[in-house]
Amino acid sequence: MTGDRDRPAAAEVFDLGYQRYQGPREGRARARQALYINGLRTTLGIGRGMMPKVLAILMFGAAMVPAVIMAVIAAIFEPVADALPTHEDYYGLVSLVLFLFAAIIGPELLCPDRRDGVIHLYLVRPITPTDYVAARWLALLTVTLALVYSGQLVLWIGLVLSASDPADYLRENWLDIPRILGAGLVVAVFLATAPLAVAAFTNRRAYAAAFLIGLFLISATVSGVLTECRGPDENGGCQERVTGDAAGWLSLVSVGEAPTRVNDIIFGNEIDGATGELPRAVPVLWYALLTGGLGTLLWRRYERMSN
Amino acid sequence: MTVLLDAKSLTKSYGAVLALDAVDFQVADGITGLLGPNGAGKSTAIKLSLGLIRPSSGSVEVMGQRPYDSPEARERLGYMPEHDCLPPAASAAEFLTHMAQVSGLPPAEARTRAADILRHVGLEEERYRPMGQYSTGMKQRVKLGQALVHDPVLVLLDEPTSGLDPGGREEMLQLVRRTGQEFGISIILSSHLMNDVESTCDRIIVLEGGRVTEQGTVAGFTTDTRVIVLDLNDKREEVATALAARGVSASVEGASLAVELQSEEQYDAIRDAVAEAGARLRRMSPRRRQLADIFREER
Repeated sequence: MTGDRDRPAAAEVFDLGYQRYQGPREGRARARQALYINGLRTTLGIGRGMMPKVLAILMFGAAMVPAVIMAVIAAIFEPVADALPTHEDYYGLVSLVLFLFAAIIGPELLCPDRRDGVIHLYLVRPITPTDYVAARWLALLTVTLALVYSGQLVLWIGLVLSASDPADYLRENWLDIPRILGAGLVVAVFLATAPLAVAAFTNRRAYAAAFLIGLFLISATVSGVLTECRGPDENGGCQERVTGDAAGWLSLVSVGEAPTRVNDIIFGNEIDGATGELPRAVPVLWYALLTGGLGTLLWRRYERMSN
Repeated sequence: MTVLLDAKSLTKSYGAVLALDAVDFQVADGITGLLGPNGAGKSTAIKLSLGLIRPSSGSVEVMGQRPYDSPEARERLGYMPEHDCLPPAASAAEFLTHMAQVSGLPPAEARTRAADILRHVGLEEERYRPMGQYSTGMKQRVKLGQALVHDPVLVLLDEPTSGLDPGGREEMLQLVRRTGQEFGISIILSSHLMNDVESTCDRIIVLEGGRVTEQGTVAGFTTDTRVIVLDLNDKREEVATALAARGVSASVEGASLAVELQSEEQYDAIRDAVAEAGARLRRMSPRRRQLADIFREER
């Protein structure tokens, strides 16, 4: 027989009631950081079911494929390596994939918060509308930068390793590194700004994504139809609908190409098409105006929420 | 009594529409009801108090700071909106943890607070389910939870019983009372439902047409009146006649007799009249004013 003293003490649960919070409060800095991290998770599809994750992985893969192919070809067919596209061409090659990624994922950062009303809960916390938008923008910029730099990194590693003398290759091509960083930043800033500016004006992600993709495709088509060569003319030259400076200015209509033209300038390349007819400062100013304008639109849209 | 919110000549206009017209009011610790019909300016007063919108003129200070100019002032404020504000794909635990961090709490503390608060609002079991699967009552509890998760000093609840059935409404009001009385968190409860305010609040501010028409303690509004109500089983008319003979006016109201009391001596007259008529008296009590009377009297 077991006595009372041999029994284990009965476990008891105490309801301590409501406890006041006595721990640290890290204010606005913590709030901004939380919004930024939440934005990163949203962009990468973390905590949002299977589809967003698959989409992020697919986009990442699609942006890497050209870099991997270029690096492998350079490694295997060294003699033709000079004729292959390289760092300066990479952003141009993957621009559609990058734009698709930003157009589909970007609106996810703003539209649901407004549609579900969560934005009202954010704005009564120790942040300003600017903090909110900046945190979301930085989150998208971070992921886009990672995307654009990863491809260039893979290509760079492939080119260095495939060179007969890697040290010699590095000495001769060291300028590629700041160019890659600069051009990547230009591309990523545009890709982070444009989708959020559009998403600020609709609660529906699909509308924002469709508008952005439509804008990219339609503006490129319009610009192409107006300014590109339709075939040889009677004199064996190029037959275009619009020629000269007018064609140059019209070619700027292709919104999606704004960052890739600056990329060409950073790498010291000739700018393709009619834009090449314009002074080199024009595409840079156009990029700055477009990106700055869209950024201001985005910021103003959220600032006005508190007036 | 500590003044937590101080509005001075607070005015807000949207174009030609004047939503709040130079109102002055103070909110002290405890539970304060902001009462008024739809369009009275309650939501505007709440938005101004939270710093969501800028006053057209005048000022509102919360715990000595102007929330519009200083986001830090909102660190110790909580807000439960009337409308939907929950992301359907997120779980309550995940959402409250995130909201605690956006209020400035470090991640580990935010997780602990989220779990504690969800227990207090009665959502311990369902905290990992996506909120899109919650009932209206559960959503209201999460909304309250997110307003409390960072342990605010003052929390503003905008129509917290909106969309709830009578049972859910009473549970929510009990939770609000617990928050104010047991948790020690001061509350501003905005509602157009007088019963909600009367049964929950210590003080009320009545808004109508953008102006404060009344403010004071609920007890002050619902004090005893000078009317004595006699619940009689029978012979009401006879008692009224006997009272009239003694110079006391009385009127029959259903099964009761209402007597306008002029002096303490009239209690003796009531006793004698009931005895003379041979009526059976079930209950005699002073009539209490109800909040609804405030609105009736003004019209």
